[in-house]
Amino acid sequence: MFKKNIFIAIILGIFLLAACSPGGLTSDPGSGSGDPADDARLVIYSGRSEALLQPVLEAFSEAYPEIEISLKAGSNSELANAILEEQANPQADVFITTEVFTAQALAMQGVFQPYQPEAAISFPTGYVSPDNLWVGLTMRARIIMYNTDLVSESEVPTSIDALTDEVWRGQVATTSSTNGSMLAQIASMRQILGDEATEAWLRDLINNDTTFFGGHTDVRKAVGAGEFALGLVNHYYYHLQLAEGSNVGVVYPDQGEDQIGLLTNATAAAVIRDANNPRSAETFIDFLLSETGQRLFAEQNYEYPILSGVATLAEIQPLDNLAVAEINVALAAEDLDETFDLIDRVGMP
Amino acid sequence: MKELDRPLIQPRKSVFLTKARSAYQQHLGKKRIPTWLIVMGVLVAALAAVTPFYILLRMFGADGSAWLRLLQSRLWVLMGNTLMLVFAVTGAATIIGVGLAWLTERSDLPGRKIFRWLFALPLAIPAYIGAIIHLALFRPRGGLVPQALETWFGYTGRTPSPTGFGGAFFILTLFSFPYVYLLSGAAFRSLHASLVESARILGCRPWKAFLSVVVPVMRPGITAGALLIALDILAEYGTVALLRFETFSSAIFVQLSGRYNRSAAVVLSGVLILLAFLFLWAELRLNGRARFTQIESNWRESRLTPLNHWKIPAFLVGSAIVFASLVVPLGILTHWSIAALSDYAAFSSIVRTGSQTFGNYIVNSLSTGLLAAGIAVILSLPVAIFAVRYPGKMSRLLSQMCQVGYAIPGVVTALSVVLLVNRLLPFFYATPLVLVLAYVLRYLPQAVRSSESALNQVSPSLEEASRTLGKTHGDTFWKISLPLIMPGLLAGGALVFLSSIKELPATLLLRPAGFDTLAVRVWMWSHDGFYLQAAPAAIFLVLISIIPLALLLRKVQAFR
Repeated sequence: MFKKNIFIAIILGIFLLAACSPGGLTSDPGSGSGDPADDARLVIYSGRSEALLQPVLEAFSEAYPEIEISLKAGSNSELANAILEEQANPQADVFITTEVFTAQALAMQGVFQPYQPEAAISFPTGYVSPDNLWVGLTMRARIIMYNTDLVSESEVPTSIDALTDEVWRGQVATTSSTNGSMLAQIASMRQILGDEATEAWLRDLINNDTTFFGGHTDVRKAVGAGEFALGLVNHYYYHLQLAEGSNVGVVYPDQGEDQIGLLTNATAAAVIRDANNPRSAETFIDFLLSETGQRLFAEQNYEYPILSGVATLAEIQPLDNLAVAEINVALAAEDLDETFDLIDRVGMP
Repeated sequence: MKELDRPLIQPRKSVFLTKARSAYQQHLGKKRIPTWLIVMGVLVAALAAVTPFYILLRMFGADGSAWLRLLQSRLWVLMGNTLMLVFAVTGAATIIGVGLAWLTERSDLPGRKIFRWLFALPLAIPAYIGAIIHLALFRPRGGLVPQALETWFGYTGRTPSPTGFGGAFFILTLFSFPYVYLLSGAAFRSLHASLVESARILGCRPWKAFLSVVVPVMRPGITAGALLIALDILAEYGTVALLRFETFSSAIFVQLSGRYNRSAAVVLSGVLILLAFLFLWAELRLNGRARFTQIESNWRESRLTPLNHWKIPAFLVGSAIVFASLVVPLGILTHWSIAALSDYAAFSSIVRTGSQTFGNYIVNSLSTGLLAAGIAVILSLPVAIFAVRYPGKMSRLLSQMCQVGYAIPGVVTALSVVLLVNRLLPFFYATPLVLVLAYVLRYLPQAVRSSESALNQVSPSLEEASRTLGKTHGDTFWKISLPLIMPGLLAGGALVFLSSIKELPATLLLRPAGFDTLAVRVWMWSHDGFYLQAAPAAIFLVLISIIPLALLLRKVQAFR
């Protein structure tokens, strides 16, 4: 009898624990179950590293304490896949990517609903979708950071092509292809240089004993610690590492006459079609494009703000003076499958 | 871990019970199987088998081009990598596990009672946490070991790479040998002294006696442990992903999370399932024929073998393994945790990410794990009762269908849950219950085996007596059977809980927004390169895992 009671108590305990857990095991965080005007919540799918999004989320929570945020962070493509899977039963309200190609690819699949924030009217093409299905948030450039104890300024390669030189065997670190920025770089290179040259570059990079980390933080820390001489990263990772007091330098590559120019991309945000909390999503995007939001991205993360009124930090080289590669976003997005094929073919991690 | 129960109890099964059961079975011909039992059993078995069969169906239905592309390029590389890793780790872990079991159970190793615990405890540390620490230690130039070599000895040359096959082999062996250790330890303990003595009296030399008597008796335990390891390595995602050694599981994860076409993931998953079936079948073949009955009445323990001048080397080897598999990981995690607590930025990001706090992660891990354990145990009961009390073709089939989950790695479970649940039960998708469902599907076999072995130990005559005295099936179950099988059910639940909170790939893919578990946090932080932040979550995960592990170990006499 006694043991029977224990058994029942355990079962009850399990269900009680489940019911009491914050958010509730049984309460569905995504669907407002037929209550579309709920908007008390905001479900964010973010391909960006949590650490880079956290300051903005905190500020948003402070400004709109009534909106409860649920964040699912992962890789761009992981969450893009989730959004596609959930098309008939949308869970997310807003999607944040680290590059615009994935945003455009999803836009073409019809999973976003149009929204044009006031701030975005003045944005340059390439940083906003023609149908207002997604909008750029911040800009970033692909740069080479180097450890100044290991490499002098005069030796640093000034082109990404030079990273495959025998001189740098085993001394280059970058991220694997599951990272959105790396994927975008490969997609951009395919458009500029063509399939063959990009494939050759990737094969050479792999054969040169390049180390591919899961994320950029590993790369910047490894270069900062002198584990690697060079790192191929987004520009702000150089600044984040510099701020930690490491001896690191930066090169904005491919600035020569016959070179491809600096590869840039933008983070982007979009409202999910049939989202449960569309107002929250729009409020959030407005906030990201407000002066407060943009300044946080610019000052905490060292990114290039997309809003013209907000200044880039003084220590960051302004994009205006640089030769920047021109990319057709729609084309790159259409070609994403071939980019994946290329990655699989060369066996890039 | 998963199979701790079965072989531990099997060798001690008394002859009386076996006889009673066979008499009962003959008598069974006249007994009608309750309809509800058949219905429930079939439903549970169908639930357990639905994911692999759905994937296999999709695999054979996949379009030819997906097959062709995979066959041309990656399938053979992945097959080679996966099989190489599985065989190497299983072999090495088996040798280490049996060797250590012999040392603690059959030799006069100093401190063997303490070693008995220390060799089992690495089970509380998920292998991917081991891999994170391994990377931090051995990264070329930046790792703690190369740095120490440089500061102390001025050595700046190359150190072996921590990644690739070598690293994955080392880490997976280090954290999976306890499976074999525990199972063969139990077999050593139950080994009858007279067996070896008889062999010696008949003129066998010690080695010959060991090979021809001890090894065959222990074989079921060893192969069961080896099978568990092999299936675990097939399913392993976190470690191979971190150490950059591509296997089927990690390739499926990349396909699933990185590509927009499902056919490659489905084909790879199908091949992986078939591989796992092959292992299950091989173990059945190896063990199916062998039956050893030891008579309990004059059972006595074998004499311990004196190690003599091998005592110190054996002690050092044991200590080295404890050092590598327990002291180093726990020491570094503690060191990182302290560093994280004293660093304001790190500390605040641990306490709060998105809108979640550290408390959420713990509660999320506990609640999904406990719920999965509870549901798995409840679901296992009808199948176990059916299989044990009404043995026959049908009940054996149902019981084996429930074992299928063993062969299904977490990524594949995730794939089928995404494909099936999102289409059939959309309201269920994106709730934490989907995680619970994945854990139940994946770990139901553990609960079924525990429940079956628990029921096996209860003589049916007790239930018969209750029925004769006019009690209903329900009353008999609640008042007689349930109290008796309770410890076994708890053990099954503990196993499911332990496995669930460590589970990584399915959790990563299926977690709803704003619902991170400890395992997810460990993974996200360390994947992003924030090792300090990952450490407290990892420590909590290990501490929580120790509770069910201790519960399981204390079921065994030797660990009391």
